[in-house]
Amino acid sequence: MDTRNHNNSRRSSNRSRSLRRRETAPELRGTVSIELLVIMVPVLFGLMGFAVDLGRLYLIKGELNQAANAMAMSAAAQLNGTAGSLETAALATNVTLDPSLNDENRYNFGSLGIGQSNGILSSSIAAPQFYSDLASATDPTSTNYADGTTAQYAQVSLQADAPLLFWSLLSLGQARKTSVGAFAVAGISAPLCMVCSNEDFAVAALDASDPVNFGFTFNTKYTLYFDCTGTNTVALLGDSTALLPYVLIDRYNPNTSLAEDQQLFRIGAGGLIPLPSNTNGTANRALACYAVGALEYLWGGAGTGGTATTPAACNSAASNPRVVDMLCGVYSRFDDPNNLSACASITDITDIATGYAFDTDTNDYDDYTVYGGNGRRIMTVPIVDALQTTSTGQMTVLGFRQFFVTPTPNPNTGLGNDPSDSHGRFTAIYIGSVAPVKQGYFTSQLNSFPSAPAAACGITSGPGKVVLHQ
Amino acid sequence: MRRNGTSERGSTIFEAALWLPILLVFLMGMEQVAKITYTYYAIKKIEYTIARYVATQQGVNFCAGNADPSILAGEYLGLTGTTDNSGAPFVQGLTFDMFQVNAERVNATGAITACSCDITGCDESVGGGSPQYISVTIPSGFPVQPIIPFLTVQTIPLVPTVKVPYAGT
Repeated sequence: MDTRNHNNSRRSSNRSRSLRRRETAPELRGTVSIELLVIMVPVLFGLMGFAVDLGRLYLIKGELNQAANAMAMSAAAQLNGTAGSLETAALATNVTLDPSLNDENRYNFGSLGIGQSNGILSSSIAAPQFYSDLASATDPTSTNYADGTTAQYAQVSLQADAPLLFWSLLSLGQARKTSVGAFAVAGISAPLCMVCSNEDFAVAALDASDPVNFGFTFNTKYTLYFDCTGTNTVALLGDSTALLPYVLIDRYNPNTSLAEDQQLFRIGAGGLIPLPSNTNGTANRALACYAVGALEYLWGGAGTGGTATTPAACNSAASNPRVVDMLCGVYSRFDDPNNLSACASITDITDIATGYAFDTDTNDYDDYTVYGGNGRRIMTVPIVDALQTTSTGQMTVLGFRQFFVTPTPNPNTGLGNDPSDSHGRFTAIYIGSVAPVKQGYFTSQLNSFPSAPAAACGITSGPGKVVLHQ
Repeated sequence: MRRNGTSERGSTIFEAALWLPILLVFLMGMEQVAKITYTYYAIKKIEYTIARYVATQQGVNFCAGNADPSILAGEYLGLTGTTDNSGAPFVQGLTFDMFQVNAERVNATGAITACSCDITGCDESVGGGSPQYISVTIPSGFPVQPIIPFLTVQTIPLVPTVKVPYAGT
């Protein structure tokens, strides 16, 4: 009953209100459209802002994120453990914004350049920051910066003004723009189980139980020489302090039109040859990559058609032609191998040598961290358990480490190394795993090698590749 | 009283009839702008997927364009989420042949240049080195036709571009 009474009273008050309204209605009639206009316009603009302005803000945020990702990865690829790497990394940050080819990363439907001002809209790129640990790198406020010798992560942050169209007509958006930010961190990945396009000089671990350096010492200059048998008569080169024998692992590729000497030259000049992409990825990777745990043979020992390259007696004065070809490739990192008569026999050397640029810094250093070149002299080599001296001997890849080739002046040109050296000697500084490799996988990827672990290979240290962390 | 109410109702309907077309054009235009924004961003993300996929492959023949299996697989991955083109396309009407994948590298003076198709360029099939940057463009644009009542609007070509460094994951 109470409720009904209550309802009745409300109904009656409603009725009296509607009566009052109807009495005054004739006066209001003409003003309804003005009222509607005044109320509807801000509401409409607000709603249209959601569709037009918010949509564009979302797009701009995405465009800036992509640009920041590309910038961070570009910078991180330059971090190779040298003091000058921060400078080259900072320069590399802006390459993806270079407008000279009209395909640079831009924002606001590709109409505005990043880092430029355009009318009231401006955008800025904070100086990239570099860190040695991931936790600091992913923290936008961290000041725990690293120097070039330890930096492994690059952090990029962008800020850009996004224009407002409909919201600028409301009191909230009178600035006609709003700031949108983007943040990206790229850097070295976890150690790779499979490294591709690296060099073929396999060396044996000095101490297989040392998971970090395999018994090698950072910044030690080694004389690398082609392994030999019998009494060791190999002398040190230049100011190097230790001898280190190497062998060539079989990566002869019967599927390519390149002659064997060309293949060897190209591996020495730029690492294992990336094969034409096709659907048979596994077969390609087996010839262009190394996997931890895989069993390997000396060049010519895997039965794919390469010339056998077994070590000769140490007192033999003859140099191995396969080693000469590969060392001509190493020489191309310093100078044009066409200048050497020892390399003249390589098929079409005048043509293929033009594909390899020299290092921009060919000086001899005892300390790797002062090197300032473009990384051409850094080699990533497989570390095996023990070197074999027979074609049938198997070597297990334990991991990958990097060496920095130093010049031992060629008697003819005064540059680079001497490919015709009877022991295939050249000097290189052990640098651990400071530089990111171009290509690689976290798992071994090799179905054809049953001995290779299918999943993670259990290494805790080694070179990684550049990945996006945030 | 009833007559009064009827006439008020009539004027409101009349006013609404005046407003409605304008409102409709506004709403439809809004929707079309949002659609274009969404399409643009979707294509931009597709291009980023293609660029990152190609940038992590080995031995890509950039001179062959879409005839290279890795480039084609990247384009299919961007368009459908599957490298063999078996998925449903994300953007209707967008096809792999609209894209162009460019290989670029930084020269000795620090400027970015397009790779040439010879041994000194990025053509790995004849002995060239690998590129340093990959860009994906739509040279002739993806045409979008905005549909707005009472108005004839020309097709708008969307030309997003994406550039990423070569190598990495």
